[in-house]
Amino acid sequence: MNTEVVIKANNISKKYDDSYALDGIDIEVSKGQIMGLIGPNGAGKSTFLQSVLGLLKTEGNLEVLGLDPRKDRHKLLKEVCSITDVAVLPKWMTVAQLLRYMEGVHPSFDINKCISILSRTNIKLPSKIKVLSRGMVVQLHLSLVMAINAKVLILDEPTLGLDLVYRKDFYSQLIEDYYEGNKTILISTHQVEEIEGVLSDAVFMNQGRIVMKDSIESINKKYLELRPDQKYLDDAKSLKPLHQRTELGRSVLLFENVEKEKLEAFGEVRPPVIANLFMAIMETTKQGDLK
Amino acid sequence: MIKVLKAMIVREIQEHKVAFVYAPFFVSIVLCFVIASVYFGGTSIETEQFNFSTEYYDEEIRLAMQSVSSISRIDIVRAALVVLAFPILLTVGFGLLAYSLSTFADERKDRSLIFWRSLPVSDLTTVLSKVLIVTLVVPLMVVPYIILLQLVSMISASIFFTSNDIVAFSWLWGSYIFTDWFRIIFSLWAQSLWSLPLFIWLMLAGTYAARPIAGAIVPPVILIVLEGIIFKTNTVLEFIENRVGFWSRSDSFPKEYEEIRVVDISDIFLLFSTQAFWIGIFVSCILMASIVYVRSSNSDHAID
Repeated sequence: MNTEVVIKANNISKKYDDSYALDGIDIEVSKGQIMGLIGPNGAGKSTFLQSVLGLLKTEGNLEVLGLDPRKDRHKLLKEVCSITDVAVLPKWMTVAQLLRYMEGVHPSFDINKCISILSRTNIKLPSKIKVLSRGMVVQLHLSLVMAINAKVLILDEPTLGLDLVYRKDFYSQLIEDYYEGNKTILISTHQVEEIEGVLSDAVFMNQGRIVMKDSIESINKKYLELRPDQKYLDDAKSLKPLHQRTELGRSVLLFENVEKEKLEAFGEVRPPVIANLFMAIMETTKQGDLK
Repeated sequence: MIKVLKAMIVREIQEHKVAFVYAPFFVSIVLCFVIASVYFGGTSIETEQFNFSTEYYDEEIRLAMQSVSSISRIDIVRAALVVLAFPILLTVGFGLLAYSLSTFADERKDRSLIFWRSLPVSDLTTVLSKVLIVTLVVPLMVVPYIILLQLVSMISASIFFTSNDIVAFSWLWGSYIFTDWFRIIFSLWAQSLWSLPLFIWLMLAGTYAARPIAGAIVPPVILIVLEGIIFKTNTVLEFIENRVGFWSRSDSFPKEYEEIRVVDISDIFLLFSTQAFWIGIFVSCILMASIVYVRSSNSDHAID
């Protein structure tokens, strides 16, 4: 993987009244990474993504492609494309007018590619955006973004309001584009299970802070889930699991940095899904805070 | 930059086509119809200030028209054609005021601001494109309607006179100065620059205020009242009054016009030489910078 740093954020903070939306965030995103920001509502994901796009003033040092997003926002947006909120397309426009406008203002927008993507949907070029359903507006917005040949993609809940078929279609198209163009992607979503297979790195956020950040490869090596046979449960617990939960009446233990061979003696072992790991880390962090 | 501005200007016209295209077109078509009706005996227009009816083209008037000097005759025809265009200009004027107030307010209301700001267009370019609409593009767009109206008037008059055995064709068309088209264009551009502080102020109100109409009216009213109480002057009120009116009739314009007429191109240069004009441009620049600042600071959609 190329180690050229595309996004460099040091000690980024954003305060609203008495509460911090971002509290000392440090993130580095290298070229070619697909980094997922995972966290509950109010974690600061959108705030961070908007600061990366220069839409918000924050404290700390932030560089995207070597530029200050706040000062050079319009320069930056030639190389960075984004969806920070879906269904915000101008309702009075027709699809064709919007495509022509994009072609006029965005040097990296490929109108033919966009028309080709739209041809796989039910969206017609002469249609006014106000007559499209919410899902279709999201489809249109995603089509616009996918037709931009940008170095960095910032996606904030990009598939909100879409049906399962189009969500799958979008992510497979995203992966295709990613491998063709070696793009860097920063993505936030609540539907963690859908992007899990797409991510190269994950950042867990809560209350404006980073709780954990690591590559998926490393997470899969570091964390393991054990579904122990009932008779080995106490033995397994003696290895000090990070977290324990019950699934369909069966205990599931999460371990950090414990050898796979050791665990296999007690039952079925596999890497945790990101959503479960996230929940475990959140609960562990909360308990740590309480202590 | 030119390509970007062109796309943005096209977008503005598409969004506000009712105000900039349909409304003046409708008014000009109605006026054409009314004027043709007057000439062909269908109706007449009589107000305290203005009478327009073929009944006035009697022998006495005809002789009077033929007896005046060719210069006076030209001035009469030119003035009449300018007066005819007033309803179109008023329609577009109101359209521009409504546009200025709503253009930044609407993008906040429907949240399309988030989409526009995700594109590589600076806030300054966005503001400039809207200023170009007000100062350059819309005044230019209205001219074809004025020309259409003038030509319908001239042709109707020619047919009327000819059918009533009045030999007026040569002097009538001889009085119609086609270069007035350019004078009208430049005069409208001068007018939009003269009134620019008002348009930009309305844009700023749409950018910052939750209720743009109140945001546009309340601060100047407070300023006027405070100025009256503290300094016993009315500079702000006079400034606003002057900018609402025609530039060539403002208090600060060095030449006095007694009658309505097409202005000379040299008058526009005279306008550029006045201090009041440049004060207006300076105020407009400050207000534009404020719009750029407020729009770029707009982060009401920022929290997750």
